[in-house]
Amino acid sequence: MNSHDYEENEPLHFVTPLKYSKALSEFIPGATELYIKLENCQPSGSYKIRGVGRLARKLKERGCQQLVSASGGNAGVAAAYASRIIDIPCTVYVPQSTEPACIKLIKDNGAQVKIVGSSYSMAEEIAIKEAENPGIGFLSPYNHAEIWAGNSTMMDELKVQLPSKPSTIVLSVGGGGLLLGVLKGLERLGWQDVPVVAMETFGAHCFNLSVKAKKIVALEKITSIAKCLGARTVAPHLLEILPHFNIISEVVTDAQAVRSCIKFADDEHILVEPGCGATLSAVYCGVLEKLQTEGVLPHLTMGPVVVIVCGGNSVSLSLLKEWAENFNVPFP
Amino acid sequence: MSSKDSDERPLHIVTPLLRSVALAKHLPMCKNVYLKMENCQVSGSFKMRGFGHLCQKLKQEGCQYLVVTSSGNTGLAVASASQIIGIPCTVFLPENSPLVSAERLQKNGAQVVVKGADVTAAAMFAQEEAKKCGALYIDPMDPRVWTGHSTVVDELVMQLSDKPSVIVAAVGDGGLLTGVLKGLERAGWQDVPVVAMETVGTHCLNLSVTAKKITVLDKITSIAICLGSSVINPYLWDILPQFNVISEVVTDAQAIRSCIKFADDECTIVEPGCGASLASVYCGVLTRLHAEGKLPHLESRPAVIIVCGGRSVSLHLLQDWAKQFNVPFPST
Repeated sequence: MNSHDYEENEPLHFVTPLKYSKALSEFIPGATELYIKLENCQPSGSYKIRGVGRLARKLKERGCQQLVSASGGNAGVAAAYASRIIDIPCTVYVPQSTEPACIKLIKDNGAQVKIVGSSYSMAEEIAIKEAENPGIGFLSPYNHAEIWAGNSTMMDELKVQLPSKPSTIVLSVGGGGLLLGVLKGLERLGWQDVPVVAMETFGAHCFNLSVKAKKIVALEKITSIAKCLGARTVAPHLLEILPHFNIISEVVTDAQAVRSCIKFADDEHILVEPGCGATLSAVYCGVLEKLQTEGVLPHLTMGPVVVIVCGGNSVSLSLLKEWAENFNVPFP
Repeated sequence: MSSKDSDERPLHIVTPLLRSVALAKHLPMCKNVYLKMENCQVSGSFKMRGFGHLCQKLKQEGCQYLVVTSSGNTGLAVASASQIIGIPCTVFLPENSPLVSAERLQKNGAQVVVKGADVTAAAMFAQEEAKKCGALYIDPMDPRVWTGHSTVVDELVMQLSDKPSVIVAAVGDGGLLTGVLKGLERAGWQDVPVVAMETVGTHCLNLSVTAKKITVLDKITSIAICLGSSVINPYLWDILPQFNVISEVVTDAQAIRSCIKFADDECTIVEPGCGASLASVYCGVLTRLHAEGKLPHLESRPAVIIVCGGRSVSLHLLQDWAKQFNVPFPST
């Protein structure tokens, strides 16, 4: 989309394909069909444009003349893309660990990039401070009701695209923006009973720690390579609404996530980041099967399974190879 | 989709049209470069458009058993379509097909018979079988296939705000190209240049254009076997003069280099036949054509590359081909 093609009420995201995956379905018992929701086909490379696009528009409507955001990568690309389309200047604060590919994409979309500090939380602190100045709006990557409302549009698409109500939805959790969006969508559709398997990697598993402690727990440091899941805490609202839904928190290792990225590249010809690899590990590493055996997912085979391929720009053939070497995972 | 729904709704989906910042860098004079992502299509390539449409029509006419000859994506499209509409299907493969092709077809519900030294011989056996069993033999040159393929242009009309400056498509037997031309006619876009890409060793269209008459390739010597037809369909030859088709050829090395670059740029892995389309950008074909005055609107209107998709590729194969053609893997 170009800025002159954009119409005021039109969403900035696309309706993405829901593709039946024969290869992944084979990992689910019975004749259960598994579908992948291809958020990698969004214009900014990940699902984030759904929420970020919506919030950016709202901030401009409310009179902001400039937007600031903080991101470890994909939210920054979404912020830059959205700002370009709705024609508002944008600065994205990123930590030093941000992949050069993401920094390039943010700049290619016309936004300024400021590399600050060693962690996402430092970048977020600086961006929020900057937004205290008049006329500047903070484009939160995951912690805002408009973000969750935007992300929830994925569920409306699934209702139309699926042959029947899903038995299970699988996704990854960073700050919880995607999960909150899915939950808001489930509520709207009257599907609150649909189990959502929320995947993280060790070293980026703040949601899992919070669920176990029954309160918000902040990770000291992100030690996983899945930087796109690298929020130190989840949005507090997620813990508030958890009891109204059926969320199952699971954690896999970086090695499992990388192995899943490689398998997926061969099965579906899409390169994904390790954060998305965590989602796919639910299938490839037997997490869903284990949950069924344990009685946590008793209805797994009674309807289609949906895996949200969240997308992400920080992946390439050489990164995949490098991760495979680092984690002793065979690269074909 | 239920068997009843599949009688009415098309079996293919509307695929994303994504703006590519990465490819635009190789075509700086171009207004925008868009990718029509047929790799996201049901069955993994654009072929579901035409063969899905044909299978639906054949079922409506009372067909109860389908037979087809294919070494790859056509077979997959027919197998997937047959499963959706609930009719059994047998795919005849030539003996020189990779083993994985037969396995993939079987996993998609087709009966597979491997017989015949090449596609022509396999087709003979397939036609005999169809006669024997009262099955319908799928003719890839059935005009309904081109009608189905032409829907790709209907989507471009909806998705673009501007008439394209050029459309790039790979050519095997010319089915996709014929469909694109029919779509251009319907849209009133007959003057849009279509750059028809082939590889050396599958370049039957180029030979025909050079000789000014239909010319048969002696032998398929390219690795892009998905483009491996020895002759284009005669109907395409008849209608060619009514359009602005520019025939271009690249080497296997250029196609492979483009596949590898595309995997890094757009996180999508494609077959060498599709690499040929991408080589139009990566290897300067469109730049040269623009300099020659053949793409007069490149600077003011968007370019569209049809990413035709295809399942016969993997990380392992990409690396093998990279070694074979002395191409860096990953791309530098």
